[in-house]
Amino acid sequence: MSAIIHYSAMRKTVHQQLLLDIDTLEIHERACVALSGRNGAGKSTLMRIIAGLEVPDSVTVTFDGQTMPWQRAVQRMRTHVIYLHQNPYLFDRSVTDNIAYGLRHQKLAMKEISSKVAEALDWAGISHLQMRNARELSGGERQQVAFARARILRPRVLLLDEPMTNMDSEAREQTCRMIKRLKDDGVSILLATHEFHTVAHLCDAHLSLESGSLQPQSLESAGGERKIIPYG
Amino acid sequence: MDSLSAATAESFRLLFSGDAALWIIIFTSFSVSLRAILIAAPFAFVTAFFMAHLRYPGRRAMIAGFSALQSIPAVVVGLTVYLVLSRSGPLGDLQLLFTHSSMIIGQILLSFPLLVALSHAAFQAADRRVWETSITLGAKPYRAFLTLIHEIRFGLIAAFIAGFGRIIAEVGCSMMVGGNILGYTRNIPTAIALETTKGEFAQAIALGMVLLSMALLLNGMLSFFQGRGEMTA
Repeated sequence: MSAIIHYSAMRKTVHQQLLLDIDTLEIHERACVALSGRNGAGKSTLMRIIAGLEVPDSVTVTFDGQTMPWQRAVQRMRTHVIYLHQNPYLFDRSVTDNIAYGLRHQKLAMKEISSKVAEALDWAGISHLQMRNARELSGGERQQVAFARARILRPRVLLLDEPMTNMDSEAREQTCRMIKRLKDDGVSILLATHEFHTVAHLCDAHLSLESGSLQPQSLESAGGERKIIPYG
Repeated sequence: MDSLSAATAESFRLLFSGDAALWIIIFTSFSVSLRAILIAAPFAFVTAFFMAHLRYPGRRAMIAGFSALQSIPAVVVGLTVYLVLSRSGPLGDLQLLFTHSSMIIGQILLSFPLLVALSHAAFQAADRRVWETSITLGAKPYRAFLTLIHEIRFGLIAAFIAGFGRIIAEVGCSMMVGGNILGYTRNIPTAIALETTKGEFAQAIALGMVLLSMALLLNGMLSFFQGRGEMTA
């Protein structure tokens, strides 16, 4: 598997304390990596840096084998990387408008947008919700809309920040199925989680964020059968 | 008591008979104040957005400054604009004093701090995920800004209405920089002040009713939009 993005010497200080001190981190194509760590370890900050939403103190970014300055890397990240919050934010408009949001910035014809949205609604199994205001949906339905809204943009990397927190077992299974389908579609996934065992079957690797640095973890330890893929 | 009843009856007659002099005053008021608020609001919203989203030296002082300026007396703004626009002032050559333009400038200065302070509160209370979600879904910053505006629209509409309410009813600034010229710069508050001193209560009562209706309508709208904001948050 080739690396899409390679980060090296990533440092991030928050409130005068070194939160992230990562020597290397690679995001490979078509890989699903679990990222665990205690509360406040910096998982969300790391994901937001990878998404280009937060600026690190220092980092060297290599995107598709090309080393580039941070500002240029941010442009690439915003095209290829999508970050989903722990509780995804849905805009105060219809489900259809939410899903079409990203496409509307791509200067596509209305007909093409409609057809892609219909396909995304169908993919997520939420065609019946298309005219509903997204704010009126349940937690599980919101998650489905957020996944469809991300998938429609065909990202190469999807960053999921604890997507199964506060979900019942049925919603968790549904989310797992969607993650699996995204992975099958060729999307690379970095999945922050507190409960690795619930997503172990989806993952190719497991990294733990401890004292600011990334430590590879065994998949077997969580009951999985795959071997560790070297990340970093 | 009889004279008050007669004046009130006359005020209704003036209002509903389409009295030209009265309706020109009403039109002037709305024309000037609407133009002022429409010019001030976009700049105020952008200023408030930067104050809420950027970290820069002097930001806290700026927030405190706009908060303090909300209560600046209208006559002080009027005096300042008068001195700047008067013949011997730095912008005297523009000959704007006693025109709609000078009234609009005064009302922009009056409403701007209120608009900034109230919209800043709305931006500050906005969910950070709105901006981040827009950006991560490929929106350019100005598109993300428009999305954020849409998400907090009830707070911004409330700020807009409060700002309009502040300037439609102010006397001091309009009187000083507009000159209360009949048929040109005379607006509702300055006309009420003048007619009352002349003892011509009918027109003052009629204009007072318009202003009162407007105040009630604006407050009703404010409550409505604030209520909607709470329900959808």
